Amino acid sequence: MILRGIGASEGIGIGSAVCVREQNLDYSAVVYSGTEAEQDRLQQAIQQFNDKTSAMAEHIRTQVGQKESEILTGQIMMLSDPFMQSQMSELIQAGQCAEAAVDQVCGMYAEMFAGVEDELMRQRATDVRDIRSRMLAILLGVSGMDVSELPAGSVLVAHDLTPSMTVGLKKENVAAILTEVGGRTSHSAILVRALELPAVLSIPNAMEQVKDGDSVIADGGEGTVYLHPDQATLADFRKKQADFLAQKALLAVYRDRETVDADGNRYALYANIGSPAEAKAAAESGAEGVGLFRTEFLFMDRTSVPSEEEQYEAYLSVSRTMAGKEVIIRTLDVGGDKAVDYLGMEKEENPFLGHRAIRYCLDRPDLYKVQLRALLRAGAEGNNIKIMLPLVTSLEEIRSARSLLETCKAELEAEGLPYHKEIPLGIMVETPAAALIADLLAQECDFFSIGTNDLTQYTMAVDRGNAQVEQLYTTFHPAVLRSICSIITAAKNAGIPVGMCGEAAADPRLIPLLMTWGLDEFSVSSSAILATRANIHHWRADAAGQVAQKAMGLSTAAGVEDYLHSAIQ
Amino acid sequence: MVSATTKIVNPQGMHMRPAQLFVNTMAKYQSDVTILFNGKSINAKSIMHLMAACIKQGSEIEVQCSGEQEAEALKAAVELIESGLGE
Repeated sequence: MILRGIGASEGIGIGSAVCVREQNLDYSAVVYSGTEAEQDRLQQAIQQFNDKTSAMAEHIRTQVGQKESEILTGQIMMLSDPFMQSQMSELIQAGQCAEAAVDQVCGMYAEMFAGVEDELMRQRATDVRDIRSRMLAILLGVSGMDVSELPAGSVLVAHDLTPSMTVGLKKENVAAILTEVGGRTSHSAILVRALELPAVLSIPNAMEQVKDGDSVIADGGEGTVYLHPDQATLADFRKKQADFLAQKALLAVYRDRETVDADGNRYALYANIGSPAEAKAAAESGAEGVGLFRTEFLFMDRTSVPSEEEQYEAYLSVSRTMAGKEVIIRTLDVGGDKAVDYLGMEKEENPFLGHRAIRYCLDRPDLYKVQLRALLRAGAEGNNIKIMLPLVTSLEEIRSARSLLETCKAELEAEGLPYHKEIPLGIMVETPAAALIADLLAQECDFFSIGTNDLTQYTMAVDRGNAQVEQLYTTFHPAVLRSICSIITAAKNAGIPVGMCGEAAADPRLIPLLMTWGLDEFSVSSSAILATRANIHHWRADAAGQVAQKAMGLSTAAGVEDYLHSAIQ
Repeated sequence: MVSATTKIVNPQGMHMRPAQLFVNTMAKYQSDVTILFNGKSINAKSIMHLMAACIKQGSEIEVQCSGEQEAEALKAAVELIESGLGE
């Protein structure tokens, strides 16, 4: 049987299932032992809760990060609320045992938080429920499932992976983790990726479908789980697992190396990220900076625009994770296929050619200024943030954005808030218009980053999601390659750095061309960092130059692709 | 009882950290502290009540203090809110 969920952490796990059941927190048999004794029990339990929780917070802070640990320190603060504690005491005075007092008061607060309109606040309901079950467990003397004692080869199955569960986990004994809730950016996902354990999350009814001892294969990349696999499937996945580990080991030697070609010429190798949590993974996978931080995540899955403070914290957190390394942050790139309901963007006939990205932002200075101010402020601490404008087609757009940026600086100056005065402003070169006037644009911005996905789509006039024309979507088309070459040349002539943050930057077939043309920085997904570094290591400059020259002499996309395929063998 | 109307200026509003700072400051005074917001009366010495009220940036609130040290408590509350609650 195959179960499907969200592949949240890459790798293949093979083992037998261990289900972590909810603890039995039934307190109906508890006998009330008098007001004073119950008050003492309550106070002792709160003390124990605080001690345990601050120990866990400290563990998470060192193992995972400050932000993650604040969930736990926040729980201590909440339980320390004197008003909440006095409500519990009142119930005890009225003849209830400490368990009932905790249960009722926490239950009331959980309901109160669950009903509020603010999304972030609603999450506090989860915290209060967590406080409730952990307090009850302490009072009842029920120990949680001890995950530190799992036998080797365990596939952990749980409703959710809580921070407290993660703390005790012995990584070497866990083959994989399966849960019923959580997405790729959920707390559990971030934790399992940090632990490098294969994980499939959000499997409907996993706890009912999987029984203790079941033989399980989990593919954390694909998000699939095989229950009771037959011998052939097992053999197949053992091989996949071995390949995955071998590839990982092979590339691991490049983790701490410099990104240089065989002649010792240096290149910058950066990561593309979509959230502050991914910055950590990027740093750990050997990225030398962030070449593209997509800020859309901050605006998605919510009902109102994120505040300046919220954005500031997100940008600052990436700046800190990457301390001493560059972080290129792309301003809001909405529209096209990325709709955000509450922004009230109109439905368009041709969204990819419509009111999107920089065009939308410049028409909404109220909204855009919030982001620019947050970026300026976040840049003040590490001086490592660069601002990148998406979908630029004209000089006027750069000028308008720059003047808005100057307005924001003046405001911050007047308010006495620290900001990065010399923050670099660059553009994503991803339209044919920008490619053709790259020489002019380079005069008025501080850097280029080539976005090959959109550049290819617009140059080829092809919707890559349309099956009837998708074969026309190819970066190997001479039109796209000439375009990339001339953008790089324009940047070189103007003396500004040029990078590439589209999928093409990680394509081993294009690396010799990009090296030859003088690309300064390759920005790829975290999982492609080591492979890209290995590919760059492989080339001598003269050999790469010959390949580039030969490829550019070919006249069809298929011809170029075939030739490059054979050239990298 | 003394009271004053003021406005939340810090971007986060009464989220965890600002609310904690406010509650800790108010705990130093003997008087009861109540915030009137959106037609609701909130016990401002309780971080849980304060957070659950979802008081955002730009919200107008009325702070009421009553009992011993009421004047000092009100002064401290208004100053703290207007200075941006530590943000």
